[in-house]
Amino acid sequence: MNLFKAIPPSDEYEIIDRLTRGGADRKKGEELLFTRFAYFIKDAIYKYSLSYEEAFDLYSDTIIAGIEKIVNGSFQGQSSLKTWLYSIFHNKYVDLIRKKTTNKNSVHRVVEIPDVLLQVSDEARTIIQHLIVKTDHEVLRQKLLQIGNNCKELLLFWADGYSDKEIVDVMKYKTPEVVKTTRLRCLDKLKQLYHSP
Amino acid sequence: MIDYSDFIDGYFNKTLSKDEVGRFEQMLAEDGNFAQEVAFYISAKQVLKEQLIIEKKERFKELLSQQGVVSMMPDRVPVRKLWIYRSIAAAALVILLISSWYLFYSRPLPVRQTADSYIQQHLTSLPVNMSATLDSIQQGLKLYNDGNLNQSLKIFESMVNRDTGNYSAKKYMGIVYLRLANYDKAFLYFQQLENYPLYSNPAIFYQALTLMKRNGPGDKQNAKQLLQQVVKDNLEGKAVAQQWLKNW
Repeated sequence: MNLFKAIPPSDEYEIIDRLTRGGADRKKGEELLFTRFAYFIKDAIYKYSLSYEEAFDLYSDTIIAGIEKIVNGSFQGQSSLKTWLYSIFHNKYVDLIRKKTTNKNSVHRVVEIPDVLLQVSDEARTIIQHLIVKTDHEVLRQKLLQIGNNCKELLLFWADGYSDKEIVDVMKYKTPEVVKTTRLRCLDKLKQLYHSP
Repeated sequence: MIDYSDFIDGYFNKTLSKDEVGRFEQMLAEDGNFAQEVAFYISAKQVLKEQLIIEKKERFKELLSQQGVVSMMPDRVPVRKLWIYRSIAAAALVILLISSWYLFYSRPLPVRQTADSYIQQHLTSLPVNMSATLDSIQQGLKLYNDGNLNQSLKIFESMVNRDTGNYSAKKYMGIVYLRLANYDKAFLYFQQLENYPLYSNPAIFYQALTLMKRNGPGDKQNAKQLLQQVVKDNLEGKAVAQQWLKNW
């Protein structure tokens, strides 16, 4: 199959449907979306003179952001999926260029704020941000590899925005309540590992 | 140590009652241990998200190589035959000039498309200050530029709730509502913006833009009057307004 060949827009409905249906369908939807516009990579190499690695990263980041927005309902279908994704792709390209030019001076780097923090009041956000900076993310990353495959898989689904109900479907748990208990237990396990020497 | 995990999870999943949310935020401000638990919860999710992105990219890479696409990717950009591109560019320029003449001089202004094109060019990405920390306006703008319109709206809305005189937040609320196609609310916020004695106030121009985008009965005529006001009073957006009025 030639992934760089344009496919009729009728496929877009299936992609969006699979992604919003969630559960086991979502993974297939993600793969369809990724392959659907893979020719953007080639475009970026020609138009923006990027290396293959840079173009691949740019496109993958676009698709990951696009998936998140489709799943949470931000994509309202006011433009075609291609136009919409291309605007994300272009914005990410601008960010990349901006990052390249400002990297020389770290003062201009923008601090990323985790999405979940946006619902917290400004004062509380400052306190938590301060504590987050103190957390050693590298250690946390290493400990994540020690919590066991099942826990890791479950937590990754959670971080990907799957609800407990959807995780029942994809990981064959009995009920959402069991998923929640297991998920919190896994997080606790990660915390114990993080604090252990 | 008290186990707060269920409580924290409930807060971020928005399953807590109003009272519990209040208690959560109070504890966050007063109890250091609790704040640490919340910070761990968020850090863990952040690290998991980063891991998720790594794994997704690996899966995508595998997908491309399975389909044999990687081998099709050029290592370097091949040398292009420039004369072909130059001829195409020249032909495109001629077509562009002819179609521009046709669009701008031989037809009345298509108001909705004109508004769309203006929004696309000037309002889909708003300038963000580059600084080490982000205040609420900058956070809102960053979310807006990333396409998270609803989230950016929440930030601007909370700013207006805290300080009803915050004209910047009101301006951005109007712009977000315009992008969300909620024209009535967009117009309302631009009307409120009009009341501020600013050196450079785009309120009237944005009101006209909103009416052009909505393009309901009477909107075109009202938008024209507003644009005429922009030109007459030398307000922000005058040059664009003059251009549009020429072909109205």
